[in-house]
Amino acid sequence: MAIRVDGHAKKNATRANAVSRKPWGAITLFIAPVIIYYAIFTLYPIVATFYYSLHSIVPEGGKLVTYFVGWQNFARLLADDIFLRSVNNTIIWAVVGPILEMVTATTLAFIVYFNVPLHRFYRTAWFAPMLVSGVIVGLVFKWIFNYDWGLLNVGLRAIGLDDLALNWLGRRDTPLWAVIFVHYWATFGYSFVLMIAGLSAIPGELIEAARIDGASTVQASTKVLLPLLMPTFLTVLILSFMGKMRAFHIVWVLTGGGPMHFSETVATYVQKRAFGWSTLDLGYPSAMAVVWFGVVIIGVALINRWLKTRTED
Amino acid sequence: MRLAVLSPQKQFEFGLWWSRIQIVLLTIMLLIFTLLVIIPFVWMLVMSVRTTGEILNDPYGLPNVIHWDNYWKLMFDPKIAFYKYFVNSGIVTAGALILTLLLSTLGGYGFGRRRYDFKLRGALFALLLFALMLPPQIMYIPQFTMIAEYGLLNTYWSLILLYAATGLPISTYLMATYFSQLPIEMEEAARIDGCGDLRIFWQVMLPLARPAVATVVLINFMHFWNELLLAMTMVTQPDMRTIQVAMMSFVGEHGSDYAIAAASLVTSMLPVLILYLVLSDKFIEGMTAGAVKG
Repeated sequence: MAIRVDGHAKKNATRANAVSRKPWGAITLFIAPVIIYYAIFTLYPIVATFYYSLHSIVPEGGKLVTYFVGWQNFARLLADDIFLRSVNNTIIWAVVGPILEMVTATTLAFIVYFNVPLHRFYRTAWFAPMLVSGVIVGLVFKWIFNYDWGLLNVGLRAIGLDDLALNWLGRRDTPLWAVIFVHYWATFGYSFVLMIAGLSAIPGELIEAARIDGASTVQASTKVLLPLLMPTFLTVLILSFMGKMRAFHIVWVLTGGGPMHFSETVATYVQKRAFGWSTLDLGYPSAMAVVWFGVVIIGVALINRWLKTRTED
Repeated sequence: MRLAVLSPQKQFEFGLWWSRIQIVLLTIMLLIFTLLVIIPFVWMLVMSVRTTGEILNDPYGLPNVIHWDNYWKLMFDPKIAFYKYFVNSGIVTAGALILTLLLSTLGGYGFGRRRYDFKLRGALFALLLFALMLPPQIMYIPQFTMIAEYGLLNTYWSLILLYAATGLPISTYLMATYFSQLPIEMEEAARIDGCGDLRIFWQVMLPLARPAVATVVLINFMHFWNELLLAMTMVTQPDMRTIQVAMMSFVGEHGSDYAIAAASLVTSMLPVLILYLVLSDKFIEGMTAGAVKG
């Protein structure tokens, strides 16, 4: 008897000991590699971008030399017409793009949610452009918009709308809208899938109940589902917004920001100033990146607050 | 919130909500819409087996003779020789995938299992996820100088190292979520049998997490294969180009050979597209998992 009690006590003691003693060796082994890697290749470059933004970094004698210039880079930005235009373009895009996408994604999600036939096929097809690289999307649409032989213009001419067959990517007013449209084509499926996911998470009983109370499809959708969908809506909107603020591949290949910077976005202008033009100075584009980082964070915070207060009302 | 992407509500009969005529009209509209969405793919495919002359004359036409030789020319014509860009992209993608998997499974296990919880773990995890909302522009200029300093410009390593860094946050997040849902009993049983932490991870838990590993492989494969910004910045030597940069440059340099260019788009898209058609659920799950969290 005594032995058993003893043994019991001993077992308890070791267990308590095992619980209180953290396996620090294992924790380090598992977590440290990721954190160290992340610190070297992601965190350090972010901090360095802030540091660069206050400096002028130019090649001299085969290597990069750093001079401190303080706020000069930021002051120059305010006077840089191309930068201001690219900000303007990106903001137009970040407003129009998400609205287009949210309207399409929500409408399609509601239609497909009610188990329309072939819904799996639609989902697969609409999501597919998301997997295709920006280079492919950019090139194909560059050809579709081609003035002489592109699908769009040839089609328009065939139905007698010769006046509408514009040089879509070569004018001052249409290239930005071409970019917005093509990016929308590539990404609306993503928003759609997220909306469907949000809808499917809403318990079915609520809609059944609405049905029994005599609600129509539209009523059930707008009065029951839509309010419950607000958190998903917010997430998708923010993701869509961030997607436009960072988009590079499609713009770069489709228009390259041209003609004459009419479709320049911040992402493409940073690339040009950092690596494209012969005016090599890594400090100036870093300052742009810093400003843009701030704009993205503020934008996300604003959308968040705006929609939060709206849902609480 | 767990995503239920893959199981649209089955409890409604659509007949309850829409009348038969409405269903037919809706289906026609949705099919037309879907056709508009996939036209660029179809056109690309048709273009790739025609001749450039035919395309310029009649972009809507179908090929008279199917020119499979476009693909042969694309790959092995000594002036074009696209196969080497496939090799480059393959090496970079595979290398970055291995590195990402190694780090993210270890990290996901450490972040996901209760046993390894400590005071700052949550904060570290949040810090890691912070990168998900950052535009690449905020870090790629110093990444460039860093790679240049180590003399890695124009090497496979430049892209392998940086791609792994971009894939790490979402991969670790996916692995951690999955590991945190595995039952503790397996882990304890192995521990009573005298297994150490690393052995439990490697021989017991990691095999159980195979579905999450598959998701991580798929989405990272796609991102690494499709990446352009870093690829064109870190690698400027023509022979070292990845497939994406090669396609872009090909159109710049051999601007008028549209049939061959279309063939390059189709071939470069195939690996991802085939995987997607076979495993579309896994793709969608992986790509949306990072979006709806908490």
